[in-house]
Amino acid sequence: MQPILDLQDVSKSFPGVQALAGVRFDVRPGEVHALMGENGAGKSTLIKIMSGVYEPDTGIMRVDGREVRFTGPLDAQRAGIATVHQELQLFPELTVAENVFVGHAPRTAWGGIGWKAMRERAAEILASLDIHDLDVTAPVSSLSVANRQRVEIAKALSLHARVLVMDEPTAALTEADVERLFGIVRKLRDRGVGVVYISHRMAEIFALADRVTVLRDGRYVGTRPAAETSEGELIAMMVGRTIDQLFPKLEARIGPPVLEVRDLVRAPVVKGVSLTVRTGEIVGLAGLIGSGRSELAQAIFGITPADSGEIRLEGRPVRIGSAREAKRHGIAYVPEDRGSQGIVRAMRIDQNVSMAVLDRIAPKGFVDRAAEAALARDAIARFNIRAWGIRQLVGKLSGGNQQKVVLGKWLATRPKLLIMDEPTRGIDVGAKAEIHKLMSELAAQGLAILMISSELPEVLGMSDRILVMREGRIVAEFVRGQADQETIAHAMMQVQREPEGAAA
Amino acid sequence: MAATTTPAAASTTASRREGPRLEIGQELILLVALTVVIGVLALTSERFFTVENLLNQGRLLTEVGLIALPMTFIIVTGGIDLSVGSIMGLCAILLGYGWKNLGLPLELAILLTLLVGTAAGFVNGLVVTRMGVPPLIATIATLALYRGLAEGISQARSVRGYPDWFLALGQGELLGVPSQLWLLAFAILAFGIVLARTRFGRSLYAIGHNETAARFSGIPVDGIKLAIYALSGFVAALAACIFVSRVSTTRSDMGSGIELDVIAAVVLGGTSIFGGVGTIWGTVLGVVLIQLLKNGLALTGVKGDATIVVIGTVLILSILITNLLQRRKGVEG
Amino acid sequence: MTSATLARSRPSAFSGLLRRLSSQETLLLLALVLLFAVVGAINPRFLAERNLETIFLGNAYIAIAAIGMSLVIISGNIDVAVGSLIGVLATLSGSIAVAGWPVWASWLVPILAGMAATSFMGFLTAYLNIPSIVVTLGMLSILKGGLISVTAGAWISNLPEGYGLAQMELLGVPVPIWAMLALTAAAALWMRYTALGRSIYAVGGNPEAARLSGIPRRRTIMLVFLIHGLFVGIAAVLFATQLSVIQSTVPPGLELTIITAAVVGGVSILGGTGTVVGSTLAAILLAAIGSSLIFINVSPYWIRAVQGVLILVTVLADLWRRRRHRAVR
Repeated sequence: MQPILDLQDVSKSFPGVQALAGVRFDVRPGEVHALMGENGAGKSTLIKIMSGVYEPDTGIMRVDGREVRFTGPLDAQRAGIATVHQELQLFPELTVAENVFVGHAPRTAWGGIGWKAMRERAAEILASLDIHDLDVTAPVSSLSVANRQRVEIAKALSLHARVLVMDEPTAALTEADVERLFGIVRKLRDRGVGVVYISHRMAEIFALADRVTVLRDGRYVGTRPAAETSEGELIAMMVGRTIDQLFPKLEARIGPPVLEVRDLVRAPVVKGVSLTVRTGEIVGLAGLIGSGRSELAQAIFGITPADSGEIRLEGRPVRIGSAREAKRHGIAYVPEDRGSQGIVRAMRIDQNVSMAVLDRIAPKGFVDRAAEAALARDAIARFNIRAWGIRQLVGKLSGGNQQKVVLGKWLATRPKLLIMDEPTRGIDVGAKAEIHKLMSELAAQGLAILMISSELPEVLGMSDRILVMREGRIVAEFVRGQADQETIAHAMMQVQREPEGAAA
Repeated sequence: MAATTTPAAASTTASRREGPRLEIGQELILLVALTVVIGVLALTSERFFTVENLLNQGRLLTEVGLIALPMTFIIVTGGIDLSVGSIMGLCAILLGYGWKNLGLPLELAILLTLLVGTAAGFVNGLVVTRMGVPPLIATIATLALYRGLAEGISQARSVRGYPDWFLALGQGELLGVPSQLWLLAFAILAFGIVLARTRFGRSLYAIGHNETAARFSGIPVDGIKLAIYALSGFVAALAACIFVSRVSTTRSDMGSGIELDVIAAVVLGGTSIFGGVGTIWGTVLGVVLIQLLKNGLALTGVKGDATIVVIGTVLILSILITNLLQRRKGVEG
Repeated sequence: MTSATLARSRPSAFSGLLRRLSSQETLLLLALVLLFAVVGAINPRFLAERNLETIFLGNAYIAIAAIGMSLVIISGNIDVAVGSLIGVLATLSGSIAVAGWPVWASWLVPILAGMAATSFMGFLTAYLNIPSIVVTLGMLSILKGGLISVTAGAWISNLPEGYGLAQMELLGVPVPIWAMLALTAAAALWMRYTALGRSIYAVGGNPEAARLSGIPRRRTIMLVFLIHGLFVGIAAVLFATQLSVIQSTVPPGLELTIITAAVVGGVSILGGTGTVVGSTLAAILLAAIGSSLIFINVSPYWIRAVQGVLILVTVLADLWRRRRHRAVR
């Protein structure tokens, strides 16, 4: 069958970086073609070329066998290629219908916007995707993340897209929403749309994809039919070696409680949580997005102080009103959103690593640069951060190395309790394993770790105990080895209800 | 492991090339520009390159120079303070009003002025931090408010007849150098060291680059912002006292439009209006360059009002050039 | 299935209308009525025809300029040079008229010149990526300095017969009132119902997304500044033709009044939302407040302070409303 979109020998370089070298990729009608690779492998550059954001330096792009050149996103749209980016490209002040038809609204005879036609067609498109619960006149700012994504997909369809590129579409979705998304993707595939699907999650790839293409370091590694490959083979293709075990949690001596939380409330999401984390222990906190996991963490860490409830550290009750106070009490927090909450891209490694310990390296107000440099060199050596030196800008590092910088920053505070929110989200497989190893070493040294994660294998592999949160409360607790993915997932989703309000 | 090394190593070369160069770049360009301007002006007018003229120019730039220092702090955090001119006007009026109408001793009136200036800046900070109003709009509002208060209090009356000891502040000399220049020099040194070397300065850069990450790192973001807006108000009040002393009179329109000179100088000095980048040394060069341009033009016969055309042009051109330079260096997001 | 969705969408469109009515515009209208009632009760002369005429007629040009300013702010930009530009364009208009050009030219040329000037600002903002606050601060001083050094603030008098556009009437209603009403209505409809108008909200609300959706961000901002120039030009001509003389200076604080009107009118400071009807109402309200100070024996020197307080109050109310809206959801 002739591919709708076919890229041959595509290369692209940026100043100092060869992002893609001789890559090929094609999408046929009615298939889901997954694109995999570690971060920095060139996936996002490739999809930006497909969607017309970048022009390739060399190589040929064909649509229906005819050679094309895209000089901007509009060209790609006209050729029938629509992209659902990771950061959704919607306009909060405009309505659902307007967003669906942004840039190509139906016109009336005299050139105005055909408002009625627009509403009707938007509703039609949504209905064709079995989405009946979306009000097309509601402003997008009032929608949940999952619903916003559906609007994006409807937008792609309104352009009569024949190729739909989806960049990590499930990253911000709850389990129930992921299922619905799969349904939509399958529907599109059956209609003959070619779907390019980028994801880090193996389970999704095997559930959806017909073929899988793997990139590594900007080069094409290979394409496999999904039915004829295995997780092990794909990982081997991605990293160039086999990984025996993803989650090497070591046995650690578990000691006295470090953190004890009683009936903690933070309106509107956290509705009374009690938990304990001991020295040497990793406690995994699972739950759907919107169940209040991150809100709980940020209440403990003082970003949004608790409304009521008790927090004890090493047995002493404490009041935590700001991140600064939490830090002083020996709490560290590696946040969920690395780019906006964890690192400062435009600052150097040393400046990032010292950011939480400025009090210590500048005791009289003046920054001790030698101490700062030593701190950064320590972090680079200890966490195996791949950089040319302590003065490299953090924005130039790969996702995994950025996460290690954040870890380095917080471990420099010599915490007693480490809260990690999605510690390996968006990180390539190799760096992920390194971070897991590090976590278990830290626990072995007596650190108490509270880990929030949406990846059940990670939760199962890393945790000594697993807590499940739902609708602002802890609803289940499992000891290591007691639970499997199904039991946890069941506890997470017991009430079949979309956490619509919480997600927004 | 070998696999992940390559992209990191590849991006390495890019950052090594552009990292440190940018910071030195802007100041070097400015220094060259300053030398050229001085050279050209010295050649075109005999009266320009004299100790007397240069010291006098120093006297004239003190108010702008002072206010530009905390403004650099504020712009480095990604904020802006448009109300400094109005705070200056309000403080000048209060100085005269407190002394003449309330009958306070002048010393006490000065103290009151400094207090009110700080309070005015503090209010800016409160509106920005506690209410979350963007600094541009917050300070446009207080620009109107403070100028309105100045006009309302003064009712267009001016105050004159200040005692000699007070006039010495703005018109006198110390060791042959205008007295306010000593104050400015001290302030430059203090602000420069704080921004470049201290925890506080580092926090300002962090806030400017990524406020959320700074907050999540336990940096007291709101406290620091409150402090710099209050500082800006305090320095504007100080500048008001010097200004009144220099011109021997008080009027409610004092300092109007000075925010333009100040922002032009700061931005010309290489501080990014988007936050995160900038130095006090750059700002000082910017202040000096603008004042000398004004002076040189005046000496070559250009009328006073036309010089503000130059400031506007310089402001736009300097950002334009920085933008072009940065684009050439291929800064990718 | 489709009809079910549509059936649901209809009542919410109606409730959307209600929401809109209970918004800034209604509040402003209420404030306006209240002000007239209260000040009129204290001092009936406030409601005298001559005073009302001064309020509406004398400030129509501010309302018109505020429409352009609203567009600029909705697109995520600002123009602090607007006062200086009006001063320059008014002087230009007067000079052309005195130089013996036909009267229509003295009306048309400033409008074209205004559009050229704002297009230049739009070009610097959109294509050369200089923040609009910097561009317009720079333009402010260029225009202001240029005007004073060329004219030395002289008065232009001996304006030709038939020049006073703002003093004319059409069907018994003064031209500035016509212009204010017509332009407000036109701009409001344009913003609400045309693709271009909606794309301004898009660009102000999420510039990055606008770029990727193929909405030409740069061209939209250029367009906004161009239209802004049209409104500023018309405002300048009405301002120039108000009296029988023109002072060739920049009216002090004019840009602040115009920005205040736009912001108080419900244009969100964060870009992306707002209406032009609100800004016109706000311009009238501001003028009425200014005028009322005299009638209740408060020195008019306080007007600027009142403006400042008004901006702060509106902005805080806007933020508070957003926050509550979010908490409820």
